[in-house]
Amino acid sequence: MEIFGIWIAAFLTLCIYSFLYKDNPFYRFAEHLFVGMSVGYGIVLSVHQGFIPFAWEPFWAAVKPFWPGVPREAGWSGLWKLIPIGVGLLFFSGVSPRHTWLIRYPTAILIGFGAGLSIPNVLRANIFEQTRGTVEPFASVHAGTLSGWGIFEAVLMVAGVICTLTYFFFSVEHRGPLKWISKVGIAFLMIGFGSAFGNTVMGRVALLIQRVDFLINDWIGTIF
Amino acid sequence: MKRQVPLVLCFLFGVVMCFTQFSPHSFSQSIYDEVVYWALIMSPFALAVGTITLIQTHVIRIRRRTEHWQYSFVVFAGLLTMVAIGLPFGPQHPAFAWLFNNVQVPLDATMFSLLAFLIASAAFRAFRARTFEASLLLISAMIVLIGNVPVGDLIWNTVLSWLPWDNGASEARQWILGNPNLSARRGIILGVSLGVISQAIRLILGIERSYIGGGD
Repeated sequence: MEIFGIWIAAFLTLCIYSFLYKDNPFYRFAEHLFVGMSVGYGIVLSVHQGFIPFAWEPFWAAVKPFWPGVPREAGWSGLWKLIPIGVGLLFFSGVSPRHTWLIRYPTAILIGFGAGLSIPNVLRANIFEQTRGTVEPFASVHAGTLSGWGIFEAVLMVAGVICTLTYFFFSVEHRGPLKWISKVGIAFLMIGFGSAFGNTVMGRVALLIQRVDFLINDWIGTIF
Repeated sequence: MKRQVPLVLCFLFGVVMCFTQFSPHSFSQSIYDEVVYWALIMSPFALAVGTITLIQTHVIRIRRRTEHWQYSFVVFAGLLTMVAIGLPFGPQHPAFAWLFNNVQVPLDATMFSLLAFLIASAAFRAFRARTFEASLLLISAMIVLIGNVPVGDLIWNTVLSWLPWDNGASEARQWILGNPNLSARRGIILGVSLGVISQAIRLILGIERSYIGGGD
C-alpha cells in the first residue's frame, strides 16, 4: 500500500508539472482533484473539529433533558446554546431566493464581532507595538549604550517608517519636500518588496527541491 | 426588519466586543467568552454555505456543458471520497490519512512549487532594471536570494576574501531584512492598521453597509 501511495503521488506530481509544457487534460484532472479533495478535507475537519464540539454537542446537551426517558437534571440553561445554532442555520437561507435576506443576520453578527474585536487588537498589536519597536532603540541612544552604527540603523528605521507612511498619505498633494520624502518612501518599499520576493522564491524553490527529491529518491527508488 | 435589524446586531456585537477588550471585569470577560463561543458555533455553517456554492457552480457547469465540464465530476469524486471516509470515521482514520498524505499533500506541494517557475518568468519581466526603483527591487531580491543559500557565503568568502567581513552574503541579507525591509513593512502595517480601524468603525456605525447587499 505504501508503494502504491508513492506511485499515486508521483503520477499526480507529474500531472501538475506537465503544465510547464502547456495546459493539458492531465493537469486539469489533477487541478480539479486538488480542489475537490481540499474542500472535502475542509468539510471533514470543520465537522469534526468545529460543528460537533461547538454546535452538535451543546445542542444535544440542551435537548437531552427533554428526551423521553432521560432524567431532567441538566435544567434549561443549555437551551441558551440553541441561539447561535439557530442563527448559524440562517446561513442556509441563501439557498432559497425568497428567504435569502435572512443571511444578513449571521453575517451582521460575525462582521460586528470581527470589527469590534479588531479595533483594540489592531491598536495594541499593530500600532502601539510597531511604533514602540520603531522608537525603542532611541532609549539606548539616550542611555549611551548604542554604537554609531546602531544609531544609524535606529535613524534609518524611523526615516523609513515616516517616508513609507508619507507615500501612503494622499490627503495632501505630493509637491515640494513631501514629493521627495514620498520618493524615499518608494525606495524603502521597493527594497521591502524585493526582500519579500526573494523570500517567496526561496520558499517555492524549497518546495520544488522537495518534490524533485521525492521523484528521484522515493519514486524512482521503488523501480530500481 | 430586513435592513435595520442586521445593522443593529452589527452595532451591538461590535460595541460589546470592543468594550470587553478594555474591561478586565469578570462579567465583561464572561460576555467575551460567550460571544467568541457563538462565533465558533456559527463559523462552520458559513463553510457549509461555501461548499453549497461550489457544488452549485459545478452542477451548473455540468448542466450547461461549459468548456471542460467533465472535470467537474473529478471535483465531486475528490470531495465525496474525502467526505465519505472522513465524516463517519473521522480524520484520524488510516484511509483518510492515506488519502491526505498520498494525494492531497503531494498535490498541494507540487501546485505551490509550480509557482517557482511562474515567479521566475514573472521576475524576468519585472526585474529589468529600467528605473532606479526597479534596480533597488532587483538588488535587494538578489541579495536576499543569494544570502539565503550556503553557496552565497561560499562565493563571498572565495571571491571577496580580501574584504574584512566573512559570510557577507548572509550578513547583508540579514541587514536588509532587519532594517530597510522592516521599516517599509512597519510603514505598511501602520497604514493598513489605520485603514482597518477606520473600516471597523464604519461597519459598527452602519456607515459601511455593503455586506447587507442590495434590495429592501
